[in-house]
Amino acid sequence: MNALFEIFISGLFSGSLYAMMAVGLALIWTTIGVFNFGQGIFATLAAYLTWQLVDAAGFELPLFVSIVLALAVMAVIGWLFQLALVRPFIGQPGIVLTVVITTLAAFTILENITLLLWGPRPKQLPPLIPGNAEVLGFGIAAHQLAIIVITPLILLAVWLFLNRTRTGLALRAVSQNEDASLLAGLNVPMMYALAFALSAVLAGLAGVFFGGLKFMSPTMGTEPLVKALVVVIFGGIANLTGPILAAYLIAFFEAAATYFIGFYWTPALLFLVLIVTLMVRPEGLLTGRSRRLT
Amino acid sequence: MTGAAAGTPTLEVTGLVSGYGRVTILHGIGLAMPAGHNIGLFGPNGHGKTTLLRTISGLLRAGSGKISFLGQDITNRKPREIVALGLIHVAQGNQIFPDLTIQEALRLGAYTPRSRAREAENQERVYRIFPRLKERRRQQIRTLSGGERQMASIGVGLMGDPKALILDEPTLGLAPRIKEELGDAIRGISEAGMPLIVVEQDVEFLMELADQLYMINHGEVAAQIRPGEQIDHEEIMAMYFGTSAAGGPPSRGTL
Repeated sequence: MNALFEIFISGLFSGSLYAMMAVGLALIWTTIGVFNFGQGIFATLAAYLTWQLVDAAGFELPLFVSIVLALAVMAVIGWLFQLALVRPFIGQPGIVLTVVITTLAAFTILENITLLLWGPRPKQLPPLIPGNAEVLGFGIAAHQLAIIVITPLILLAVWLFLNRTRTGLALRAVSQNEDASLLAGLNVPMMYALAFALSAVLAGLAGVFFGGLKFMSPTMGTEPLVKALVVVIFGGIANLTGPILAAYLIAFFEAAATYFIGFYWTPALLFLVLIVTLMVRPEGLLTGRSRRLT
Repeated sequence: MTGAAAGTPTLEVTGLVSGYGRVTILHGIGLAMPAGHNIGLFGPNGHGKTTLLRTISGLLRAGSGKISFLGQDITNRKPREIVALGLIHVAQGNQIFPDLTIQEALRLGAYTPRSRAREAENQERVYRIFPRLKERRRQQIRTLSGGERQMASIGVGLMGDPKALILDEPTLGLAPRIKEELGDAIRGISEAGMPLIVVEQDVEFLMELADQLYMINHGEVAAQIRPGEQIDHEEIMAMYFGTSAAGGPPSRGTL
């Protein structure tokens, strides 16, 4: 019983992080039609920026102030990513592959800059809420519980933004028909920038949440990116609900496999499932082929 | 909509050259649309009508030539600046925003600050012209019939508070009854004082609606027709297919 509970909590926690990473990828894919391989570095940078602001060796600001500041910087970095790595190639044939390479290059460069600036020694962020909490008679870290509760709220906020505000409508419209969006008077490049800024903030949050539970390192962004890739391949990337569901599914699968089969076999098993998925349904298990934000 | 054309012309196009990449499609087109007039464009497919409209609304760059709208030079301005000035292009085909509801799409149509200020008024106007859109306002556009989607496209255009409206084949591919309904709605929009630039294959419809017709062929204005002047169907057919249409297949030339 205890084991089942731990699998469940671990799945929910990892699922939350994967969901935020994957929703960011889906936002960029649906609006611009490119894949951002730099998504992982957003998580790393946000975690390290927060550490710099909050830690005793840094500026010693309160945790929440640090997180907000770091996320604001992430929005700017996301915007710059789009400006430098995507915008110059818009309208060119083969843009999808070009952007895979430019964003992957930025990922590597920024990962090494992180290493230069902050060194290889693992660091840790303070938890959002210190101490332990008790759920159904089982103890878990309060930080973990907070993230399990906060993430769906954040995802709900993203959904409300996309469905209830005019700017959110504009973002969805760009993903459905770019010419018609231009003819409605929308600022399409601004929507591209917004999609990148928003997904950098979401990935940044995932990084900060991760750093509050486990050790951060300059390469910490790689694993969540690989997982988010698995998630979007599994759940499809053409909307938001597919990746969110898939994120939690994959996380539960991972947690269960780790417990029953072992830590070392889990990634192999995950990729086996992925390969089979790709063979059977290349567009993802949970969605159709069209690009849309819902 | 005939009558004295006082004031600044709605739209003037002179010597417009445009195309896709290295392929030139428009070879120096000129149009004049005096204030209070409607113009109609027709001609064979693939001869530049849509290219002309896309260049006017800023989706394509003009290689040379000049476009002015209400006295302002809009050549190679950004689409959203042209929309903000009040020249609104309802594109061909009716796949506007398949996953938005009618209500959402109309809200999006009022995106520019100028149109946002008149959103409620314009929405009422759209629902008055197309009562069916009001009935189905919570439905996703993908679930509508072709005619209803076309109504939604025009509705989104009207939400931008246009000073002139460009319609690219608004009745393309529609069944006769819905085509008639849409035609009536377009005439109604015009009678309420909206200057229209309409591309249509149905020349009869254009003759009724427009003060001046332009036939576009090979990226040039091949003929101009004033509906007041008598012109018979055969003459238009001859324009479409070339004078040789009556005298057997055209010569292939020699190589």
